[in-house]
Amino acid sequence: MTPPPRRPRRPLPFWRRLSATGWLLLSLVIGLGGGLYYAWVVDPVVFTDASPARFSDRYREEYIILVSQSYAVNQNWPLAEQRLAALEDPNIAETVNNLLETAVRQQRPAPLLEQLAIVARQLGAQGQAIALFAPTLPATTVQPTPTPAIVTTPTNTPPPAATATNTAVPTLTPTATTPATATPQPNYRLTEQTRLCGDDEAISRIEVVVLDAFLNDSPGIEVEVTWQNGRDRFFTGFKPENGRGYADFEMSPDVSYTVRLPDGSPEVSGLRIDECANGLSGGWRLTFQNLREGSPTPPEEDE
Amino acid sequence: MNRLPTPIFILLGLALGAGLGLAVGWVFWPTEFTDANPAVLDDGYRRDYVQLIADSYALDSNLAAAQQRIGDLGEDGPQYVLAVLIDMILRQEDETAIRRLARLANDIGQYTPAMAPYLAAPEAAP
Repeated sequence: MTPPPRRPRRPLPFWRRLSATGWLLLSLVIGLGGGLYYAWVVDPVVFTDASPARFSDRYREEYIILVSQSYAVNQNWPLAEQRLAALEDPNIAETVNNLLETAVRQQRPAPLLEQLAIVARQLGAQGQAIALFAPTLPATTVQPTPTPAIVTTPTNTPPPAATATNTAVPTLTPTATTPATATPQPNYRLTEQTRLCGDDEAISRIEVVVLDAFLNDSPGIEVEVTWQNGRDRFFTGFKPENGRGYADFEMSPDVSYTVRLPDGSPEVSGLRIDECANGLSGGWRLTFQNLREGSPTPPEEDE
Repeated sequence: MNRLPTPIFILLGLALGAGLGLAVGWVFWPTEFTDANPAVLDDGYRRDYVQLIADSYALDSNLAAAQQRIGDLGEDGPQYVLAVLIDMILRQEDETAIRRLARLANDIGQYTPAMAPYLAAPEAAP
C-alpha cells in the first residue's frame, strides 16, 4: 500500500510570517507616513507673523516698488534701506536693478522707472537702465541756462588822490541780484554728447537724436540752434532713413553754436567744427531723452 | 513566530510613527513658507506696509492701485488702515505721515472724527 501523495504545503500568509518586531516596524512606518501627511498637507504650519523676506516674487516686486515710491516722497534713505533689508536679500542691489530693467521692458510709467533707478543707484548698482533714468551727468557737460535778469548797479569808484596814476576807470560792481526763483524742471535731459569723426570724410554737422522716456525715437520734436546773430529751428523725423527721432544741422567754420529743445532741455553750447584725431573736421552728436511720461504732441503740419 | 502579533505592537508602532511624523512635519522640517502675502505679515511689518501704500498714494494718487494693495492686506484691510491711522494719531507720530494716511483712509471710505484735523490743509508756518 502506497502512502497517499503528499500535498504541497501552502505558504503561510505574510501576516503569519511577520514577527512581533516586524509588525512594530511596519506600523511605525505607516504611522510616520500618516503623521507626515497630516503635518505637511492636512494641517501644515501656518505662519502668521511673516516678514517681507517670505513674500512671493510678486509681492517682493510690489514691496520694492512701494519702498522706492516712499523714498521719493520722504527722501528718508535710512528708512528705505531698513525696509529693503527686511527682504533679507544679499543681492538686493542686483534685484532692484533687475526689477528696473524688467519695468523698462514692460514700458512702465517713467516716474516709476526713475524712482526704481534712484534706489538702485543708491544701493550701488550699475547698469544701462540706471544710467538712463538716474544719471549723474558731469556738471561740465551741460551749460546752465543764462539768467540775464541779474541787475547790476554801476558805482563809480572815487578817483584817487592826485598822486594816483590814471587808473580811475569806473568799475561795475554787482550789488543787487534778483531773488532766486525755482528753475522749472526740464522736460528733456542730455544723455549723450559725442564727437562725430569720419574715417575718410570731413563732417561739419550737428546730429540731434530725441528719444522718449522709453528710449523710442521721438519724431516732430522742435530743435533750436542759435549762434551769434543767427537762429534756426527744425524738427526731428524729416530724415526717417536715419531714425524718426533724428535731425541735423550744418555748421559753418569758426562759428560757435548752441543747441536746445524749446520744449525744455539743457542748452548745449560751444559746439563748433573741430579737428578730429585724423586731421579731418568733425561735428557733434547730441542725444536727448524725454523725462516725462509719453511723448509730447508733435507740432502741426502747417507750422 | 507563527502566531499573529498582538495588537499592542501594532498600536505602539502606529503611535510612535505618527508622533515621529508630526514632530518632523511640524517642528524639525515644516513646510517651507515662501509665498507669503501682506495679509500674513507680522503686525509691525503690516503697519509699515500700510504706510508704504499711503506714501505711494501720496505720490501717484492712483486710488485703484491703493485699493488693490489694501485688499492684499486681507479682508479687514480698510479697517486695518483706519486702526493704524488712529494708533498713529494717539501716539502722536510724524504728522506728515499721518496726513498721508488720513488722506488714503478718507479716500477709501474710512472715516473717524479724529482724522479731521489731518485732512485739512496744513497751516502755513509763520
